[in-house]
Amino acid sequence: METRRQFLLKGGSLVAAGVAAAAAGPTIFTRGAAAADKTLKILQWSHFVPAYDKWFDPFAKEWGAKHGIEVTVDHVGFADVVPRATAEVAAQSGHDLHMFIGLASAFEEHVIDLKDVVGTLEKKYGKQVELAHRSTYNPFTKKQFAVSDMWVPDPGNYHKKIWTDIGQPNGPSTYEDLVKAAPEIKKKYPQIQIPIGVGLSQDIDSNMAVRNMLWCHGGSIQDKESNVILNSPETLNALEYAKRLYSVGMTQAVLSWNAASNNQAFNAQETSYILNSISAYRTAQDNNLPVLENYFFVPALKGPAGIMLASEHVMSGYVVWKFSKSQESAKEFLVALIDASRESMLASKLYNFPSFYGAVADPNTVMSKKYDSGAAWIAKQCNNDPFGSKPADKLALLAKALPWSTNLGYPGFANPAEGEIFDTYVITDMFAKAATGALAPKDSMTEASNRAKEIFNKWRKKGMVPGGSKDR
Amino acid sequence: METAETTGTATFLTATDALSPRDRRLGKLLLAPALAYIFLLVALPFVLALFLSLTNSSAGSLDFSFVGLQNFANVVRNPVFRRALWNTFVFTFVSQVLVMVLGNILARALLKKFRGKLLVRFLILMPWAAPISLATLGWLWIFDSTFSVINWVLKVVGWLGPGQWYYWLGDPTLGMVAIITVHVWRLLPFSTVILLAGLTSIPSEVHEAADIDGAGPLAKAFQITIPMMLPILTVAILFGTVFTFTDMNVVYLLTRGGPYNSTHVLASLAYQEGVLGGDVGRGASIAIFLLPLLVVMAVLMLRISRRAEVV
Repeated sequence: METRRQFLLKGGSLVAAGVAAAAAGPTIFTRGAAAADKTLKILQWSHFVPAYDKWFDPFAKEWGAKHGIEVTVDHVGFADVVPRATAEVAAQSGHDLHMFIGLASAFEEHVIDLKDVVGTLEKKYGKQVELAHRSTYNPFTKKQFAVSDMWVPDPGNYHKKIWTDIGQPNGPSTYEDLVKAAPEIKKKYPQIQIPIGVGLSQDIDSNMAVRNMLWCHGGSIQDKESNVILNSPETLNALEYAKRLYSVGMTQAVLSWNAASNNQAFNAQETSYILNSISAYRTAQDNNLPVLENYFFVPALKGPAGIMLASEHVMSGYVVWKFSKSQESAKEFLVALIDASRESMLASKLYNFPSFYGAVADPNTVMSKKYDSGAAWIAKQCNNDPFGSKPADKLALLAKALPWSTNLGYPGFANPAEGEIFDTYVITDMFAKAATGALAPKDSMTEASNRAKEIFNKWRKKGMVPGGSKDR
Repeated sequence: METAETTGTATFLTATDALSPRDRRLGKLLLAPALAYIFLLVALPFVLALFLSLTNSSAGSLDFSFVGLQNFANVVRNPVFRRALWNTFVFTFVSQVLVMVLGNILARALLKKFRGKLLVRFLILMPWAAPISLATLGWLWIFDSTFSVINWVLKVVGWLGPGQWYYWLGDPTLGMVAIITVHVWRLLPFSTVILLAGLTSIPSEVHEAADIDGAGPLAKAFQITIPMMLPILTVAILFGTVFTFTDMNVVYLLTRGGPYNSTHVLASLAYQEGVLGGDVGRGASIAIFLLPLLVVMAVLMLRISRRAEVV
């Protein structure tokens, strides 16, 4: 029988052997890695249209196999994209390529400048769409901190039968239409819980919905020079409007919604209007839900002064971390991904729209015609949905979404301050408090404006955001 | 031979003195993993949090400057923080009272003999064993503002009339009710097991003697059961309190602090500001705001657990 001492001595030898192996580990790993060529680790979200992931993962692997690079793709839920980036920056290790679905600007300091990648792409395909440029480039530091391969339009989704029954078969076209329609919908369809389903909660969709409302009433968080101008008569008008809409057409349910709630409410025919991309519609199609025949879309609604704007629903922003040891492979992959924009759009069932329209142009198109050719190809898909819409041109309005779509940070560029305001729900809370009467609209605006200025000033001190001289 | 007794001086040998140097080295070796664990995963992050709360550190940067108590001054001015602070106390106090009362009832029920007792014990322990994220998803549907099963049942039985509806997660008060309900559901098994252990540790002879002396149920509860269970009861309360004070899971998974940041507790607000919002310094200052209170509680806990050892 072994004594305790003998046991420990043996154990000690094993530990020593383990330590030696660990010390030799990096050498062994390097040799192994060299034998298997280079590696590229990509962090992606789990796409709202799952079919896209089934295309992306093999696409990335195949690209890697062709170039002697071992590609790994990891997916996280959309809510974990930012926390994961925070953790990887803190650890200074992780993935090489990190995809953001909103603003990556807060991480600018830790990513490499991708000007050369955008330069290459612009030489091949012409300019990218303006909202992608404004979401991935910081004019203050002159850094291209991310590259966008796609963006997603955010139309209104309306229930055709309900709106037809109240005399508006083509759905709403202005914000005022929602206020007028809500009491009529309540009267005709008392069983519907939420006549108008515009989210006012702490979630991503509500964050966009309230910005749309703000912009269409002429307000915004910042101006073009990044001065905070939230404290304005226009913002107050938007809040007064939200209060009216809430009182006639919404319930407390919209204060608790998560990203899936508006889809679920619309698909269950518990609301007649929501703001969403086509992912909810694709879910209804996949499950052949009763709502399908009445599932229709309208463009962004017009505000009182005729402004018609909607935030992009998703804006991809791929960054390459400074700590990455595969920066060149990451850049090459980004170019390859944008080369495959047609496949990407089709794999996502027309959810993804290319950030470089020229990348979906017909082959051999001359540079000066690439944008138009790309736009024509997009229109062809939307006018005759290859994924079974009835009627086939149900998604036609998406092809014309670019003029009424804009970036977070409108009318300026996206920046870390706008990102922090987005992620901490300053604007949704301002609208929710005003709409429910938790605070008077003016007080709610003052509270949010003070917080916005605090956040902007913090980022200005860090040298990441300009402006400040004309803050209100 | 001279001994301690012969010299007349009192000599006390501790357990360590009795060990040979070889065994002492072994003791240190065996203790090292636990100490390393505490140092690396508890002490170091804690000191780091303290340090970060005094800086303007942000998530996307490794550079920061020392800002003193500025973060604390900023958060105290913020109405969302003040609400979260209030919620933290309400959340902790109400859930602890409920956990103790319900745990006591369950523990006493489980002391009795009945058929299927094993199954009941298993079912009671289930919430403790279930991953909180999975369990909360279930609760999320139960409390869903549009599809709440509670509301549908209340509607069917006639409690809710036409147009009446409870927006569990869309109303600040009902939101807190939902959060506390899930937290109580989650902590109840642990407190039941602790209280059950305390009850079974009281010798039956004591109760029998009290019966012979003619003591009633109230006298037995206040003069025998509660005094004899006091150390273990206090440990359970303090553990539950500290656990609840620092927990953010239920809040974050159920309401994400909404509506309009009205159901945040300090831990969930710290996550929102520090991790999601990227203001690490501000997040750290929110997270450690209650540190002085928690330190007092920890000291109390240690003292009482030492007393429990003696008992």
